[in-house]
Amino acid sequence: MNKPAKRLISLKINGMEYEMAVRPNRTLLEVLREDLMLTGTKEGCDDGSCGSCTVLLDGSPVRSCLLLAVEAENREVTTIEGLAEDEKLHPIQQAFVDHGAIQCGYCSPGMILTAKALLDENPEPSEQDILHAISGNLCRCTGYNKIVTAIKAAGRNGKEGD
Amino acid sequence: MDDLSYVGRSIPRKDGPIKATGRAKYTVDVTLPGMLVGKVLRSPHPHARILSIDTSKATRLPGVKAVVTAADSLKIKHGFVDTPRYPADQYPLAVDRVRHVGEDIAGVAAIDEDTAEEALSLIEVEYEPLAAVFDPEEAMRPDAPEIHPSHPKVNEPYRNIGGKTATSWGDVEKAFAESYLVREDKFYCQMRAHGYMEPQATLAHFDYSGKLNVWTSSMGVFLKRAKLAKTLGLPYGSVRVLKTYVGGAFGGKIDLFHHEYIASLLSMKCHLPVKIVYSREEVFKAARPAQPLIVQIKTGVAKDGTILGQEIHAINDSGAYHGSGVVVIFLAWGFAMAPYRVPSLKYEGYSVYTNNLVRAPQRGHGAPKMRFAAESQFDMIAEELGIDPVEFRLRNVRKPGDILPNGDSVKNFGLRECIERVAERTDFKNRHEAAKRERETGSKVKRGIGIGTTAYFGGSLIYPNSSSALVRLNDDGSVSLLTGALDIGQGCETVLCQIVAEELGVPVEEVQIYAADTETTPVDIGSWISGLTYVTGNAVKKAAEQAMKKLLAAAARELGADVNDLVARNKEIFVSHCPDKTISYAGAVAASIARDRGDSIIGEGHFRTMKDEPFHPSLASTKGRWTENYSSYAQVAEVEVDTETGVVKIAKVTTAHDCGFPVNPALVEGQIDGQVSMGQGHILTEEIRVENGCVINPSFLEYKIPCSLDMVETDYIDVITEQYKRGHHYNTKEVGEGYVSGTVVSVANAVFNATGVRVRKTPIHPHDMLAALDRLRTPKEEKKSGRS
Repeated sequence: MNKPAKRLISLKINGMEYEMAVRPNRTLLEVLREDLMLTGTKEGCDDGSCGSCTVLLDGSPVRSCLLLAVEAENREVTTIEGLAEDEKLHPIQQAFVDHGAIQCGYCSPGMILTAKALLDENPEPSEQDILHAISGNLCRCTGYNKIVTAIKAAGRNGKEGD
Repeated sequence: MDDLSYVGRSIPRKDGPIKATGRAKYTVDVTLPGMLVGKVLRSPHPHARILSIDTSKATRLPGVKAVVTAADSLKIKHGFVDTPRYPADQYPLAVDRVRHVGEDIAGVAAIDEDTAEEALSLIEVEYEPLAAVFDPEEAMRPDAPEIHPSHPKVNEPYRNIGGKTATSWGDVEKAFAESYLVREDKFYCQMRAHGYMEPQATLAHFDYSGKLNVWTSSMGVFLKRAKLAKTLGLPYGSVRVLKTYVGGAFGGKIDLFHHEYIASLLSMKCHLPVKIVYSREEVFKAARPAQPLIVQIKTGVAKDGTILGQEIHAINDSGAYHGSGVVVIFLAWGFAMAPYRVPSLKYEGYSVYTNNLVRAPQRGHGAPKMRFAAESQFDMIAEELGIDPVEFRLRNVRKPGDILPNGDSVKNFGLRECIERVAERTDFKNRHEAAKRERETGSKVKRGIGIGTTAYFGGSLIYPNSSSALVRLNDDGSVSLLTGALDIGQGCETVLCQIVAEELGVPVEEVQIYAADTETTPVDIGSWISGLTYVTGNAVKKAAEQAMKKLLAAAARELGADVNDLVARNKEIFVSHCPDKTISYAGAVAASIARDRGDSIIGEGHFRTMKDEPFHPSLASTKGRWTENYSSYAQVAEVEVDTETGVVKIAKVTTAHDCGFPVNPALVEGQIDGQVSMGQGHILTEEIRVENGCVINPSFLEYKIPCSLDMVETDYIDVITEQYKRGHHYNTKEVGEGYVSGTVVSVANAVFNATGVRVRKTPIHPHDMLAALDRLRTPKEEKKSGRS
């Protein structure tokens, strides 16, 4: 079997520079999970339909299963591991915990990052804004109700913290 | 109840932070040094004889470390049910015949995914295709292809009968003869996917000490251990199943899955860790989907709506092996008889083999289908009699203390109160009448309201039948809980820690829990028969009580006080009439160790539901007790039907629930929300489509589970019956399964209320809705029900 030659790339993930040799057909999701052991990013479908693998690319949510690692070169990648500072949860993470927005937790990393992108752009979103923003992140446990409550609360908290 | 500190409170789940930060390790995240990638070769045929399997080329491929087929196995069958009547019927690797597309033929373990895939392509299998059948009613015909011989105790001339449940009481014919109105209707429920977000995944490592270590995405570690040990021929002590976080299950991860066996067998062959993770396509095409059911139901009522008799025939397409088919036909009977009085009943359920995928239970396991049939018909009867749907239900609902035909008591059953409260909160009667009047107006969007109810069991006697727990007071007075319970997202770890905190008077955040490891934690009933909070919760309570008793005895001796005068609070024990005399928990533990020849303080607790019953009730005859613990709920759905597009939207679902005492009300709400959403998918959008036994929509792009834009507003009414207020705060009941049912039923009835279209088949496809609306506009003489 002929494998494509590896390419040397530099990835910036959660503020850290990683010099890596990766095959050009590998997705960012594979590189994050398998090479860097950043397993907080989850794979749920491998066809872009579930949103579990969402990471932020220059602050915008992308599906890391649909993005080649080489395409992320020279971009800022934020994964769920880059959100909490030391042991203090990010306000969105705290809101998810406080408002019962987490059950099995498998969709939570992607959902939280999507929420972060939304709140960074619009700290006080309407319910419709939230529903649209997270419409690409499937959750089978919660019915979304408590996730929406948590994102609303995090939005307000963020404003109060300013 | 008022003096409870931790139990009954909405404490945030203990594993929230580890999940929110992405640090929780699911099976897919666990890695071991030297780990290999495992893959499974599957049958492309729905029914075929295997003439030969040649793995020599695959074995020789560089990078391949092990290849296994049935020839490497002990050829021991397993089954979801394994009893004298229904012995295990499925080999973990196909021996000489395959009976469904996707059946497991061989496994490979290789150094990477590409090599494993290539190895699969090098395995040569010669098949002789056989005639196949996919529709259960066709499979029952005497001339259908035989998948397995019909069960020897089934006398009817049907083919492919895997099992039958038959029971009756009263004189149904007499009841029908005396009825004012008799209706007979047939309802169909589709095959669905569980939609757990974490795919099926297993990591197995057979180490050089001869122990098989298994990490697997499951619903209980002890059942997995039992089934792996049996099929692999290992003693239980040589199989260790360890905890991982579980990314959803909903019924779809119980029983033995063949990739768990194959990963284990591969590792036993090469002594290296082997991990198998399904792709989402593989989950749809080869894992077990949820049970479909056909229900034919005939009901006779008096003029005032009192049910006099029912005759029910249920047909389950179990797929190529038993799976849970012989269970769902038993449960469907239970969900027919539990919530309402049925003075005479004749029930027959058939589980029929087809060349489809084997099924697993899904949240509710039979309840959504049986209640959909029964309560759609309730509303049809009520409409014909001119009785309000709420009145009809109140006329027939069981009362607390009613004894069911199987000997169970519904004791503190709150269904009547649930129906009354939900009807009141939603102004049901007025809005139901108003919607009927507005049906004829010109608006293109029709609105309607509907009600659905369920009663559900809470734990039954299925292996491992009972739970044990250990509560350990550490030297410094801190507390550790050891339990075999596996949290699959419902929050059982949090609930069990709340119970320990309550009983021992320690802050809940300080209770350390060590869970779900078959080697180091005691046996547990599992997160799959809706009994965990009741069974494990009471085992934990007993363990904590015993630890407390030992602690107080040590303290009493040390303080020179009577044990009855002691009060424990915040890890301090003091004498009630002399609060200056105190000792810390750490001091009491030290005193116990010093004085009692080294005895540390460990409490143990064991709990079994229906402890005087030897077995699960008969699946064939329904004889024997089922559960001691019936929950109930009533749900009201408000829907909008767009008559131009046929699209149904659920605006709101209000739930009145009697789940016993809610140990953590926020977790109860979370369970209800999730089930409303799952019920929404069931009634509106979800359907696994199959052609010649092959799933043709194996992706979330083509199998639509609800997304956020479909979110349903929810409201809850906690109906706590008097019994729980008198201190019975561990008298908990089911809360994780039955609400799917009430949602499906209430939406179907609301759609009728809005449009006059009666749903007889789920899901409600928009094109079917449009066709039904067209038929209503050009009315034909509908087949009338018999009226005596």
